[in-house]
Amino acid sequence: MDGILNRDTLLKWAPLIVLLVLILFFSVMEPRFFSVRNFARIAIASAPALMVALGVTFIIIMGSIDLSMEGTVSVCAVVFAKLFILMGATMASWAWLALPMALIVGAAIGFVNGYVHVKLKIPSFMASLAMGFVGTGLAMVLTGGDRIRIEDELFRGLLTTRWFGFPIMVYVALAFLLIGWFIQSKTKLGRNFYAVGGGEELAHGSGLNVNRVRIMGFMLAGVFFAVGALLAVGRIGLAETATGNNFMFLSITAVVVGGTALWGGIGGVWNTLVGVLIVFVIGNGMVVIGLPGYIQDGVLGILVILAVILSTDRRAISFVK
Amino acid sequence: MSFIKDYIEKETINRRNLLIAGAYGLGGVAAGGMFGPSMARAAITDPTIAWSYRNRTNPYWNEIVTGGEAFVESLGMNKEDLVHLINEGSSEKSLADVKATLARTNGDLALAIDTNDAPNARPIVEACAEAGAYVSTLWNKTDDLHPWDFGDNYVSHMSWSDEGPAEQTARILLDAMGGTGGVVHLGGIASNNPAIERLQGLKNALVDYPDVELLAAEPADWDTQKANQVMSAFLTRFGDEIKGVHCANDTIAYGVLEALRAEGIEDMPVVSYDGNPQAVQLVAERKILATVFTNPHWGGGITASLAYHAATGAFKPSEEPNEHREFNGPSIFVTPDDAVDFKTNFLENVPAYDWTDFWGPSNGPIIYK
Repeated sequence: MDGILNRDTLLKWAPLIVLLVLILFFSVMEPRFFSVRNFARIAIASAPALMVALGVTFIIIMGSIDLSMEGTVSVCAVVFAKLFILMGATMASWAWLALPMALIVGAAIGFVNGYVHVKLKIPSFMASLAMGFVGTGLAMVLTGGDRIRIEDELFRGLLTTRWFGFPIMVYVALAFLLIGWFIQSKTKLGRNFYAVGGGEELAHGSGLNVNRVRIMGFMLAGVFFAVGALLAVGRIGLAETATGNNFMFLSITAVVVGGTALWGGIGGVWNTLVGVLIVFVIGNGMVVIGLPGYIQDGVLGILVILAVILSTDRRAISFVK
Repeated sequence: MSFIKDYIEKETINRRNLLIAGAYGLGGVAAGGMFGPSMARAAITDPTIAWSYRNRTNPYWNEIVTGGEAFVESLGMNKEDLVHLINEGSSEKSLADVKATLARTNGDLALAIDTNDAPNARPIVEACAEAGAYVSTLWNKTDDLHPWDFGDNYVSHMSWSDEGPAEQTARILLDAMGGTGGVVHLGGIASNNPAIERLQGLKNALVDYPDVELLAAEPADWDTQKANQVMSAFLTRFGDEIKGVHCANDTIAYGVLEALRAEGIEDMPVVSYDGNPQAVQLVAERKILATVFTNPHWGGGITASLAYHAATGAFKPSEEPNEHREFNGPSIFVTPDDAVDFKTNFLENVPAYDWTDFWGPSNGPIIYK
């Protein structure tokens, strides 16, 4: 096939097409699905997961994987909530400093992740998974198993204040999406992620400090996990050890469904946006059209496989590990 | 107010009676030991006390284990002396941990355990009985497994029956809705017994409210974030038809309240279950109309205490009636009128329970359907 409809173009746009088809399908089944209010609901649900998925996108582009998100999100959420309450419990006081401090905690966890992975030569999969457990344990120790409620109206404005029908947290997520896109396409670090993912030996051979790029990547991911944690707390008004639950499955699924290849070098932040939306449109749509709960998980699994089949070029790879 | 007051009064009386009964019981056991059927082994003077459970990340299990620690401290030991066997949701690990601990302690063990799933209870109880250890179970066991089939070594089983209390909270909800309109239910993991019972409670109540329609019942997996998403989707699907929300537990209710808050809905009647501190606070603020407190702190402490006191010979399980060996845990209603009192008496100041009052706060024998 030539012209616009060639195979490469189709593959490139497949995730977006899947998303549009899903929206069309759910709208036909239940017209109430297609409304600004419902799109706002999907956006609210997606925002924290989008942040976490963006973080892991950079790591996957490098051909590594970061599975520490659940622990990191929990620690960042709990540290933020503790500091926020300690320093005044309202954004109108010094308590706002808890926001940047949570990001620093995220970066620190990411640094440890990257350092353990690179210096101790432990596969990123194992190093980050272990750090995730450490994080969950740490969050547990910090909270003693309790939940911390954040009542401050200003902070909760993330959810309750709306511009053009969408709450502020959705715009915050969009801003970080743009930052992610900027890092990916306009900075040396972003291009180095692709270089490492596309061919690490080559990148190393051309004088790139691959280890440094990796550690920077994990730190960046940690910061995005922390933003996800803050939005998750903003959405629920609670910080607890369980705040990080389910983010691993959601974010990895979303990244892969969006068309970023797990073997690295392909994909990017826009793919991840589309992937996250696919996952949450399916989740919302299935309840909206009244699909029984017990078949929802099964349908989600099948749709994930379909989306991956459609969005990656199976012919370009000789084997799958 | 009445629920709480009754409960506290009942507790005080029970405590008094039990002290007397306890003194008598000690004598009785000593006498029984002399003439009764010969026991497999003599009483253990200083058994290792262990609690085997999922993990502490879950606030509910954290409360259970805190109760276990409080019991150990009441014996004059440090709370670190309680051995934690954490199964992380794996029945295999649960069984392996128990067997390892039995080997290490040579059977000098008082074990409190939730076996993670019902079929796992039998191998664990058998392993304990064989080693001469004493075990009390919580929540999970199959219907054909009974403490009285194992002499003294399978001391007791405690569970909770949620159908009745869930029906009562449902009635509070349906009354608050004025007896008309649509109601949605957000449940726990669909296959969990409490999730099934709590939904059934709502259905039982609905029989008396013909003008209320159950619009939908979806599992929210006991998870705040999932509940938040499911409630949002319900709002899209049913919009203003929803006049009330029945939640299977408090963590679900938090997600529901935030989904409503995001839409600027402040006065929707919501009821929940479990009586977590934050939920009780929300009941006091009238954001939740009712929750049910199952006193996991007491449950965790008394389960360890039963196993311990049976092991030391303080009482002889086989001489107790069946309803003292399989019984339901307490259910206390918390409504806006008594939430503040309840919070002061139970949550902010955890009562110093009498851990030898084994059955005072319990709630009748387990009835199989």
